[in-house]
Amino acid sequence: MARLALLLRLARRSVLRNRRRTLIILVAISVALWAMIFFAALTRGWENDVVHNAIFTLTGHLQVHAPGYRDDPSVDHSMKPPNATVAQLLAGTEVAAWGTRVRVPAVVMSEHDTAGVTLVGIDPAAERGLSFIADAVHTGRYLDSPDDRGILIGRALADRLGTGVGKRVVVMSQAADHSVADRGFRVVGLFEGDREATEMAYVFVGRRTAMTMLKLGSRVSELAVMLRDRRQLPAFLARLRTAASGLDVQPWTTLEPMAQAMVALGQAWIWMFFVVMYVAMAFGLVNTMLMAVMERTREFGMLQALGMRPRLILIQVVFESCFLLAAGAAAGIGLAAGTLSLLHGGINLSILAQGAEMWGMGKVIYPAAAVVDVIGATALVVVLGVFSSLYPAWRAARRVPIEAITRN
Amino acid sequence: MTRSLRSGLVALALILAAFGALKATAAADDPATIVKGAIDYWRDVTSYTVVEMTVHRPDWERASLMRAWTRGEKDSLVRFVKPARDAGSATLKVGDDMWIFSPKLNRVIKLPFSMMAQSWMGSDFSYNDLAKSDQIIHNFTHRLVKTDKQDGHAVYVIESTPLPNAPVIWGKERLRIRDDHLLLEETFFDQDGKPVKRLSAVKIGRLGGKVYVTSMRMEKLDEADHWTEITYRKASFGLSLPDAVFTLSNLRNPRPGWERP
Repeated sequence: MARLALLLRLARRSVLRNRRRTLIILVAISVALWAMIFFAALTRGWENDVVHNAIFTLTGHLQVHAPGYRDDPSVDHSMKPPNATVAQLLAGTEVAAWGTRVRVPAVVMSEHDTAGVTLVGIDPAAERGLSFIADAVHTGRYLDSPDDRGILIGRALADRLGTGVGKRVVVMSQAADHSVADRGFRVVGLFEGDREATEMAYVFVGRRTAMTMLKLGSRVSELAVMLRDRRQLPAFLARLRTAASGLDVQPWTTLEPMAQAMVALGQAWIWMFFVVMYVAMAFGLVNTMLMAVMERTREFGMLQALGMRPRLILIQVVFESCFLLAAGAAAGIGLAAGTLSLLHGGINLSILAQGAEMWGMGKVIYPAAAVVDVIGATALVVVLGVFSSLYPAWRAARRVPIEAITRN
Repeated sequence: MTRSLRSGLVALALILAAFGALKATAAADDPATIVKGAIDYWRDVTSYTVVEMTVHRPDWERASLMRAWTRGEKDSLVRFVKPARDAGSATLKVGDDMWIFSPKLNRVIKLPFSMMAQSWMGSDFSYNDLAKSDQIIHNFTHRLVKTDKQDGHAVYVIESTPLPNAPVIWGKERLRIRDDHLLLEETFFDQDGKPVKRLSAVKIGRLGGKVYVTSMRMEKLDEADHWTEITYRKASFGLSLPDAVFTLSNLRNPRPGWERP
């Protein structure tokens, strides 16, 4: 024990003796760790954004459709509104919000242009907490009821069509009897989406207005459900599948495979980056330690001549690395925490919005540090850092006193 | 019967007669009737026409020839004869449904709603213009703005506003209809009141035994030098066209005949 205390003291002293060298290695370690944590937080922020966007862009945690709707989302694949068993399940405590929708491909026309869109008939009140639309109205008003005769369109779409609040657009789609269903709607509001693609893709009308227009009777296209906690999804899904037999009940991970893939990609990305950063840092660490050991050839020779065991020299050098790594890690974590708290309000990407959208990113990205990433990065740096310092330590321990003293 | 009673009855009869006459003039001036009259006169009960269509753009122009049959307000069949590239292409409309036939593909396609707004055969007419030729009668309220005099005829200027939920993108349309049912001009306004496109009569003459707009032009007002002109080469009206004309079978395999009364 006393021996260990002596080694610790020796290690501490030698670390503090050459301040410049210590500082350089501290900077290397802390910058590496900072980059790892910061990048991980950025990636997590992007993942959260992708998932949030996937869920709130009319997906919810799970959806029920008629069989075949997912392959061909047309009026032909409509279903009856939820039956008593399903309704009972939806009234359960784990359900935060649910709503039925009509959702079919359509064409919207103004005097100047025409665009292909998805026509969504909604229950305006039910969409609160279920999708983005309830809070997305930018100018004008939100729909009042399922019978509302107005239409909500995206801001970008309004620009393209050369229309605006108070004007009329014509929506054409296919009715349940395969005739052309068309109808004029007055634009009552413009919504702003997190992504421009959303603004271009959807137009919203009252659900019952859409059902009348499409001659659907009481049938709807989908039922979307938002749970209070995403973790309750598997259990709820199983119960809903039993209740709604014959229908296609799917979780968001199946409905939005792209979002799911993005999350998996983000995960892999974080670890690849960690390894790359670690390798770069490890070379710096090994190099610095190796130089430190070379410079101290005489010192180690002397210690050995005085009777210090090579094993103890090895332990001393490893201790030195431990000090450096611990101090560097603390500085790195501190630096990352500081940066992240500065960027608490999100990073505005709107200048590169179109490019960012390609990667599924929104206009603002909020870095989100995950505890698991911070621990992972620190553990990687410290544990593997100690291992990589074994080589210089082993070199130091191998010095034969006579060689060390006679050199130069 | 006393004198006073008799004169009273005469006065009543006169008043009633005056009312009757007033009602008759009101009917003649009723803008909805004028519009329907013009559309019915244009399409007749049935018609067969040979039509030349010229699509003009600043840097090119293309002419084509087609034969067209119509019946009532809803049914029509148009078959291209020239140019050779388009020969045989045909469009059939029955009720509210439309089909197109392309001889190159040898296929009949029911026109999906997504194509309705597209240009018809590269012209300034859209499939919608064809599909909704009777829309002006059913989806608008009409107001007589004024009555002009032109070439010894009265010309009614009518402003038509779409009904609230009608599938009409225009803010309003202004029609000029001559008292002999000729539609001289139809201007489409956007919802800011700016004219966007205009269909106007270019030539009036005798055709198929009646006075007819023999040539008309559709032009986009915001794009200079973009227009499509339609000229009737031959026409016969009031034919007895069998149901077989307006069928998918006739669209795909044209039968001869049905061109004369």
